[in-house]
Amino acid sequence: MTATTPWSPNSFTPADPSYFKVKLTTWAIIWGLILLVSLIPGILLAAGVEVLLWLVILPVVLVVIIALLVLRILRRQVAALGYLEREDDFVVRSGVMWRKQLVIPYGRMQYVEVNSGPLERRYGLCQLTLNTAGAGATAHVYGLPEAQGQLLRERLVAAGEEKVL
Amino acid sequence: MSQNSDWQRVHPASPFVHGWLAIVGLLYIYWQNTDELSMAERFSGERLKWTVVLGAAALLVVLAFYFLSWYFTRYKLTETHVYVNSGALFRSQKQARIDKVQGIDIAQPLIARLLGLAELRFDVADSSESVLRLAFLRKAEAHELRQLILQRATGPLAANPTASPSQAPEHTGSIAANTPEASTPLMAKVPITRLFASLFLQLPMLIGTLACVVIVVLWLSGITGMIAAVLPILLSFGGWFYKHLNQGWNYTASATDTGMRISYGLADTRQHSIPAGRVQAISITAPLLWRLFGWYKLEVNVLGTKSDELDNLQVLPVGDFDAVTRIMGILLPDLGIGNQREVLATAVSTGYNYGFIGSPPRAKLLSPAAWKHQGFLTTDTTVISRYGWLARTASFVPHHRVQGTEFRQGPWEKRRELAGVRLHCAGGNIIGYLHQIDAQTAAEFTLAQAERQAER
Repeated sequence: MTATTPWSPNSFTPADPSYFKVKLTTWAIIWGLILLVSLIPGILLAAGVEVLLWLVILPVVLVVIIALLVLRILRRQVAALGYLEREDDFVVRSGVMWRKQLVIPYGRMQYVEVNSGPLERRYGLCQLTLNTAGAGATAHVYGLPEAQGQLLRERLVAAGEEKVL
Repeated sequence: MSQNSDWQRVHPASPFVHGWLAIVGLLYIYWQNTDELSMAERFSGERLKWTVVLGAAALLVVLAFYFLSWYFTRYKLTETHVYVNSGALFRSQKQARIDKVQGIDIAQPLIARLLGLAELRFDVADSSESVLRLAFLRKAEAHELRQLILQRATGPLAANPTASPSQAPEHTGSIAANTPEASTPLMAKVPITRLFASLFLQLPMLIGTLACVVIVVLWLSGITGMIAAVLPILLSFGGWFYKHLNQGWNYTASATDTGMRISYGLADTRQHSIPAGRVQAISITAPLLWRLFGWYKLEVNVLGTKSDELDNLQVLPVGDFDAVTRIMGILLPDLGIGNQREVLATAVSTGYNYGFIGSPPRAKLLSPAAWKHQGFLTTDTTVISRYGWLARTASFVPHHRVQGTEFRQGPWEKRRELAGVRLHCAGGNIIGYLHQIDAQTAAEFTLAQAERQAER
């Protein structure tokens, strides 16, 4: 049985598969750093400071377990991203465990941003942010190929202007 | 026009209102640095001479700053604009188009109140980020100027050729300036006893009071070490208490042509006008113990005005159901359904009359205490949603104020085929919140809400 959501997950335009590589690199950097921190008691022990043994092992084991769990759902997280352009509004979806579908009418749109960080640029990707007057109603579209992102932005701005007039 | 557009200065005591701290600070620094001296040594011989010389010099510098600040702060009112210039080194020039002025608030910080001064804050459409301030004028002057500007803002541009701003301060205390205030019908008032009771019946104050009792008991039993640890917590409760006491002190709400006006304040008297057209969302909250007395708190999301606080704007600190209906009648006159009063009564309690759709019984395990209260109702104009466990909230979001609709489903909700919907709004953190309703219903609601939003 398919899960109940307002719009069928299949109708969304998914994020570019290479966005997974961006997420993977970010994952490696963040969890690498956390692992380094968790190794501190071990380093101290090696340097001759007296440290309880479980204080050396436990953090490392915990960090590795959590990192692997996160890695397991990373691909599904990327697969869960998507956007849907409709006649009067724009829908984004995200989340595996906590799934979300956020719909914003073109008429409420205040401005559209396209950003790309160094990692995303390496893979020719960008992210688009659609802002409204409400802080909670901000739609993020991740993992867009750059050219597609610019086109989408232009379409959204045009649709927004049409609605306001 | 020409003599209308003369630049005017604010009241000479203005810099002192914000700057008195500098003088106190100087005194404090002096006192600290001479801590080791006895009282007699402070005021004797060579030392006294230096003290006087240095003190005078410091005072001169401060006064010079005050003078410059006052000298360069000027304002001008023309038929179409208000201009405020300020700053000696870093000049700032601000102006606002009078026909864009939505409301003018009068604020009186404590020192200003002692000096009989008041500050005008212009709430200008399309520029929520920087509020135009004019500080300080004599109180009567401020009221007159506000009246004059509001007249120009509402009336046609050339309708008022006789009233010029340079004349305005001359008829101080005239009846004309006071009547509109007196004629506005009073909608709610908060008696001080009720305010105190309402504050002590809320969780933060209960905990704070308990902490007080614990401290006293500890003290009496001779344990003083703990007190230092509890004191900071106590202070934060004190802060909470003072803030809410201040917001509810002498609270009055009255109806105006465009919406309502509230005024409150213990040390600082504040007046806010709330145009009904700028209200984005309304929430009615009843904390657990308030329910015994049938008391409610009303808050709104509103654009503009409250530039300094992140909180929602409180439009009723505590009041009974009648006060709630009166204020709702002003801020949201069209609920989009018949029997408005009865629907409102259902919204602030439990029950599924008038088409309220609640959480199904399978939500019981997730929210054992709240599932019977949770629910929502969609009318022609508004989405009413009820949520909350200890403090029950009913939130009202007009369809054309919804910025975005968000369908959400967590893992535990998914297993029970439940889902939630949030209606995001501007101007504060009140949202419409359909909590743990049937997933199918939630999905259909989201689709229907998207249609409704696209229409408006």
